[in-house]
Order: sequence, then C-alpha cells, then structure tokens
Amino acid sequence: MNPLWSNIFRKPGYEGTLAYFLGTVPTFANLGRRDLSFLATLVHIRNYNPGETVFSEGDIGSGMYIIRSGKVRIEMKDEQGQDQIQADLETGDFFGEIALTTPKHRIATATATEQTVLVGLFRADVLDAIRKHPAIASKILLGLTRVLSERLQHAGLRLREQSYAHLDSVNKDQP
Amino acid sequence: MTALPRPTGRAKNLVLFLVLSAGIATGITIFSSASTIVEWVETATSGLFLPVLLSLIVTFLLDPLVQFFERTQISRTTSIFAVYAIFLIVFILLLTLIGPPNWRSMLDALQADFPRYISRVLEYLNSLLASVHNQFPYLENYDISGKVRQWAQEFLGLILLETPRSAMRIGSLFLLVPLFSFFFLRDSRRIMRNLISLTPNRYFEMVLDIYDHVSWQLANFIRGRILEAMLIGLVVWLGLSLTDIRYAPLLGVIAGVTNLVPYIGPIVGMIPGLVIALVDLGAGPQFWWIFCVYLLIAQVILDNFILIPILISRVSNLHPLWVILAIVMGGKLYGVLGMIIGVPIASVIKIAILEIRHYRSNFNSAREILTNHHD
Repeated sequence: MNPLWSNIFRKPGYEGTLAYFLGTVPTFANLGRRDLSFLATLVHIRNYNPGETVFSEGDIGSGMYIIRSGKVRIEMKDEQGQDQIQADLETGDFFGEIALTTPKHRIATATATEQTVLVGLFRADVLDAIRKHPAIASKILLGLTRVLSERLQHAGLRLREQSYAHLDSVNKDQP
Repeated sequence: MTALPRPTGRAKNLVLFLVLSAGIATGITIFSSASTIVEWVETATSGLFLPVLLSLIVTFLLDPLVQFFERTQISRTTSIFAVYAIFLIVFILLLTLIGPPNWRSMLDALQADFPRYISRVLEYLNSLLASVHNQFPYLENYDISGKVRQWAQEFLGLILLETPRSAMRIGSLFLLVPLFSFFFLRDSRRIMRNLISLTPNRYFEMVLDIYDHVSWQLANFIRGRILEAMLIGLVVWLGLSLTDIRYAPLLGVIAGVTNLVPYIGPIVGMIPGLVIALVDLGAGPQFWWIFCVYLLIAQVILDNFILIPILISRVSNLHPLWVILAIVMGGKLYGVLGMIIGVPIASVIKIAILEIRHYRSNFNSAREILTNHHD
C-alpha cells in the first residue's frame, strides 16, 4: 500500500496502544486491527519488580507471557539441581506458550531481571474467547500453532543434523 | 536519690494509665462507630437484597442468550438490548393475547377463601387432636389449633396490610431488576477481571484458573436450579389446570419456588395444593390426580429421572444435615426468602471449596512428580 494512504488511515497514537504492540509479536502478526483490539481486551497486564519470579519450575502453568518492557531470565535445573540460564528475553519476546493449550507444569523458572511489564494471555480467557468469538479465537490459536510448528520443525532439523554428525563421527572412528 | 525513681515510676504509671484509657476510649469509639456504620450499611442495603438477588438470577439466565447474539459480531451492549427487546415483545404479545391478569379479583377471592381453607385445616387438626387425646389421655392438652388459628390470622393480616406496599415494591422491582441485570450482564466480566488483577503476581495464574473453573461450575449449577424450578412450576400448573382446582398458577409458582429446597421443599410446596383440593373438591379422583401430579409426575418422573440428571451435577449434592442447617440459618438471617435460597447458597459454597481442593491436589501432585523426576 502507498505509505501516504496507510498513514491517513492510521489513528494518531495507535503505535502506543496495547493492540499495536500485540501486532508486533510474531505469534499475532496475522491478526487484523479488529482482532488485535479484541485480543487486547483478553490479556492481562502485570508489573514485576527486579528479581521477582514470574513462575517457577513445577507450577501449574495456564498461559503465556509477552514482554512489553524489561527483561526476563529463563532458567532450568540440570541433573545436579543447579540453575542453568537458558535465555535472557527482551521486549517483544514471549515465553510459556506451551502451557496455554495444555495444563502442564512449568519446566523452567522465569524471573524478571529489571522492572518489567508483562502481557499475559491465559487459557481461561482463550476458552472464553472460543465460546464468544470463535473466528477471532481460531486466528489467535492458528498464529500460535504456526510459531510452535516452526519451532518443532527447527528442532527436528537440528536433531537430524546432530544425529548425522554423530553417525559421521561413529563412521570415522570405525575403520 | 531513692526519691527520684518514685515520681518517674508514678509518672510512668500515669502515662500508662492515660495511654491505656485513651486506647480503650478509641477502641470503644471505633467499635461504636463501626457498629453504627454497620447499621447504616444495613439500613442502606435493606431493600436491595431482593432486587440484587433477582437481577443476579436474571443475569445468569440471560447470559447464554446474550452470548448467542454476541457471536454474530454484535457488541455486547447491543446484544443485551436485543435480548431485552425480544423479552419485551414477548411480554407485550402475551399481554395483548391473554389480557392482563386480573390481580384484583384473584386477590379478593384469595382473601375470601383463605379463612375457609384455614378453618377446614383447623377442624381436621382438632379431630386429629381429639383422637390422639383419646388414645393417650395422659398427654397434656396442647393447643395446636389455637396456634394455627393465630398464625393464620397474622398471615391474613400481613396479606391485607402488605398488599399496597408490596405492589409498590413489585413496581420498583420492575424498574430495578432490568437495570441491575443490564449492568451485571455488561460489566460483570470487567468487574471480575479488575478484582482478580489485584492478586499478587505469584498467585495470579492460580487464582485466574480457579476462578475460571469455579465460575463455570457455579453458572451451570445456578442456571440448572432455576430452570428446574421453572419447569416443575410449569408442569404443576399445567397438571393442576386439568382439574377444577382454583389458583393453579399460584400453586405452580409455590411448587416451583419451594422446589429449590431439597427434601423438605417439595413436601411443603404441595401442602397448599392438597389442602385446597381437599376442601374444594373432596377426596375424589380429582384429589388423587392432583396428588399424582405433585408427587409422581413433578417429583419422581420429571425431577428425579429427567431434570436432575441432565441439569445438575452430582457434585452439588449436600448431606441432609447440611440442608437442614442451611435452611435454619437462612431462615434466621432472611426469613422465608433465606430458607429458600439458603440451600442453593450452601451448595455454591460446597462447589467452590471442592473445585479449589481439586485444583490444589493437582498442583501438589504435579510438584511431586517433578521433584521425584529430579531426584
């Protein structure tokens, strides 16, 4: 579209709204303006102090979080029970999305490392949306599925590469 | 030197005494002001209990309809208005087709008939008492009939006195209930979200999840109970209108409302119908048909075999002891109204507690699995 026209239709200050922010998250990239403003009524905004736990390993998870501002550290326990840093997430990243669809316990601990604002989307609200607005809810879930399957494919490819590499090393060792 | 500590000790005592008395005075002031505040709150909300209760019931009943409209991309406010418009149209249609109910003549007839029914009941009770007295002459002569007569006169006086006032009240209900339920329907989600968002971050997810489960169960339970009462009332009304009995609609309403109380309610609800049938129609085939309608058709077939299995889950079953306690406590708090809604409220509390316990046990078992996995 012509940038001039797109600017005319864009409401002033829209960039600052929650709906616009949600549109920048890859999971919800395919949603329209209307869907995004509906999604903005579904989510919860939570404020965290530095060092505050978002969730810890073993909690019953019920939803995903998107970082609106601040930073979150994801840690996992290894075999010795030591915390291993898995990732440091920043604005626009999301985590905990697996718990959105199935009531599973959290497999990692998430801690806010600075003053953080998180946008939470929880199963209860998604189920509510499915009952009330099935069309929008399926778009939201489709976006989520797309991201998850991309990840699954990526993980599968990496696993295959590693097993080939392993096979290669075994073959080299044998002769 | 030894004289010095004494005055300070006295001063200390004095200070202690002053502080203590000031503390007690403040305590009393706070307590009395608190009790006056409680009194104020009581007087301010005294007339609001019934309208709020009715609008909550209306909200629970209309919510599925509103959701149905909302699904077609209409905003929630508009869909509430649509549902209201439909109900208004149905109401006006019924009024024009059947004509406004003749409240005046119905009330006059009831006022004339009521003493007649009561005197018949008294006659029967007296004869029963006489026979009991013949069999057990050593029993003290207990004045049951006098008590019943006194109670009946009080009740009649209440009807005569309260009618103009209750007409005003019913008029205000017609205004308040749609208004309240409109706002409940429109804003209940937002209100609950705001309340839940007050919970600390650590427990937020758990509270949200538990709230979702509990509210779903509760909505189903309340909707089921109300639908059950309505259907029972309707069936009793239809069954009774096949006979020559008078006040069939009123008896249907009584049967429906009392059906909200398990075990005892249906029995109490069928007494007025049976009394009227006995007095007006005698113990003929019509009386036995009415008896069958109450007991066999409404209670056994409709309620036990059809409605309860479909509408109401097992979870909400209360132990009879709890039922009696809930009736007594509800009666103490809010009179007859409290007796009727005491049991449903007790079931609501039970459902909430069970859901929370279920959730917590899941939570703990998940924890255990995870910790075992790590060990």
